[in-house]
Amino acid sequence: MSAPHSHLADDRADSAAATAGTAPFALWSAGLDRAFARGLRRVTGSALAPYQSAVVRIGFALVQLLFLLREFPHRDELYGPGSPWGLDLARRLIAGNHAFTVLLWSDSRAWFEIVYALSTVSAVTLLLGWRTRTSSLIFMVGVLSLQNRNVFMGDGGDNVIHIMAIYLLFTRCAQVWSLDHRRTVRAAAAAAAKAGTEAGTEAEAGAGRKAAAEAGTEARAEAAPQAGTATEDRNRAGARVPRAADLDPVGIALWAVLGAGLVAATLAGKLSTGWATAFWACWIGQAVWWAVRRYAPGEPRTVLETMGDIVHNGAMLVIVAEVCLIYSTAGWYKIQGSRWQDGTALYYPLHLDDFTPWPALSHALAGNDVMVMLITYGTVIVQVAFPFTLFNRRVKNVLLACMMLEHASIALILGLPFFSLAMIAADAVFLPTGFLRWLAQRIAGAVRGPRAPEPARVRDSGAAGLPEPAAGPPPAGAVAGPS
Amino acid sequence: MDPLEEPPSRAAALSFPGRLAVAVTVGAVAVAALYHLAMMFLHVAPSNTLSKEHAAAVNDYVYPEFEQNWKLFAPDPLQQNIHVEARAELDKPGGTVATSAWVDLTGRDIAAMRHDPVPSHSQQNELRRAWGFYSDTHDTQEQATGGDRSDLSRSYLLRIVEKRFGTRYEGGRVARIQIRVATTDVPQPSWIAGANSPSTQFRQLPWWPVDTTASGQENAS
Repeated sequence: MSAPHSHLADDRADSAAATAGTAPFALWSAGLDRAFARGLRRVTGSALAPYQSAVVRIGFALVQLLFLLREFPHRDELYGPGSPWGLDLARRLIAGNHAFTVLLWSDSRAWFEIVYALSTVSAVTLLLGWRTRTSSLIFMVGVLSLQNRNVFMGDGGDNVIHIMAIYLLFTRCAQVWSLDHRRTVRAAAAAAAKAGTEAGTEAEAGAGRKAAAEAGTEARAEAAPQAGTATEDRNRAGARVPRAADLDPVGIALWAVLGAGLVAATLAGKLSTGWATAFWACWIGQAVWWAVRRYAPGEPRTVLETMGDIVHNGAMLVIVAEVCLIYSTAGWYKIQGSRWQDGTALYYPLHLDDFTPWPALSHALAGNDVMVMLITYGTVIVQVAFPFTLFNRRVKNVLLACMMLEHASIALILGLPFFSLAMIAADAVFLPTGFLRWLAQRIAGAVRGPRAPEPARVRDSGAAGLPEPAAGPPPAGAVAGPS
Repeated sequence: MDPLEEPPSRAAALSFPGRLAVAVTVGAVAVAALYHLAMMFLHVAPSNTLSKEHAAAVNDYVYPEFEQNWKLFAPDPLQQNIHVEARAELDKPGGTVATSAWVDLTGRDIAAMRHDPVPSHSQQNELRRAWGFYSDTHDTQEQATGGDRSDLSRSYLLRIVEKRFGTRYEGGRVARIQIRVATTDVPQPSWIAGANSPSTQFRQLPWWPVDTTASGQENAS
């Protein structure tokens, strides 16, 4: 290990001496400086991985939505006032562990139904990326409230949704594939069209339309992980947008309603100091964000955008590392088990009554000794190896496909569809940008069919007008997929 | 920012207070993210030098919202089928007392899940995890080992079973309930020499009077 290393060091020292005549340490330190500066520019330049954060948002919102719909007939038994885990038992447990749930605020059935309904609605709005910042907050409150109301109902799937719901709150996960993004594009297009007709003396309506399409492209570029120019575009667009359009009455109404709720909860003494601080900070943050966008579109806005991007990038790092931690621990604990070592581990779950909704299928698979061993070993190998494959794009993508396939099989064979979907949603953070965009185009094409409505065309032209590299193919050897 | 060959960053164009705000944010987010990940690592990793030394700090940070467990089917998968069964003591009209036959409640859940691509948590997790909670907080002599948690687990298990029977069962009022748990080893794979022949072991719990605080909700299945 040390021999090739010192050899490399010698090479570098030689070249350093040849070119600059400086001590090798100075060169290393300069290299380190440059790497550090590059990293700093990246994390402050933009909100990275817009497609990956969007697919994680859509994935987890979808899992939670499907789960809530599936459990609708059982909702009272799981989390309601009629649950065997009664409100009295839940209160005693939570008095000890201080978990957050709004469901203990009232014993009434109406309150429970409201919370369940709002939880479902927030899953839909988060899925669509409508008022994403607010939606993600309500989504998190819903997830935590339901799960903490009865922690003895969950499994690994609920666990990963719980954690990701918190992380998503810190990400700018609606930069693409969201109603928020569409609204931004439309506002910019409308502003450009207006500016075009006002400024150009011979401007025809057609020219205005063209300008609108171009503005759409610009706004799309803003969503792409590009630094520098994007901010200027944003600022120019901000300056151009008429103030009335920027007033955002829906946003203000939503903010006021949430504020009223927050005041009520605070006055009633329902919130712990920690949660009260967090919620009030979010609420005030929204107001500051709105005010700065409206009244200070110059530097203050750039600073706030940058700060938001930095928080997003930190949260994405945490999400990526969390997924690696999940696989590492799952793999490392398995290695210690004798059944995983002798290659029969898979056989046993296939004979557990709770996890065999299709017994004939499970028993047929369990009866194939070689297949059982290959899948048992393969599972451990993939789980332990996955974090290390992030250093090689191609290997990472192969393993990612394997893991998603395995989770899809688990969904069917072990009867764990929500767990599996949640894990696939978490895995999706590592999908390559090119693949995600290709997939989105295919889905959009299939959904849209031959109709092609007007707004969709504006968006299409935006996508088509954007040169492929703008989405930023991750540099080879990038640590994580979301680059 | 160092004067480098690459284009200036967005932050470089800012005034000093702006750059300061950005720098402080970078520092705070970096520290928070790394601290969080360190805590997560110490929480999910096997008990080790560091996690023992800082157990209090780790637990304070992790619980209640970041608790997680990824020992899925590990170190070894469960190799037993555990069925919660119960019977009821019934007050019949005319003052007679009858005892019902044992009902395999887990078996009912399993039958309901058969060929359902999306099993409900109420069938897949409710009894399984309630029994796990109970057995984690009681020894095999049914003595509490977990303080208030033992009591909670007992009430929870009893209420689940009560709900399954309903307040009336087989023409009588349910007065007391007894639970037993049937554990059957999964037969070892046929290709392993000396494969065991599975037998079922029973753990019988004492008779418990029904939990009156839970009654009033009639939802027999």
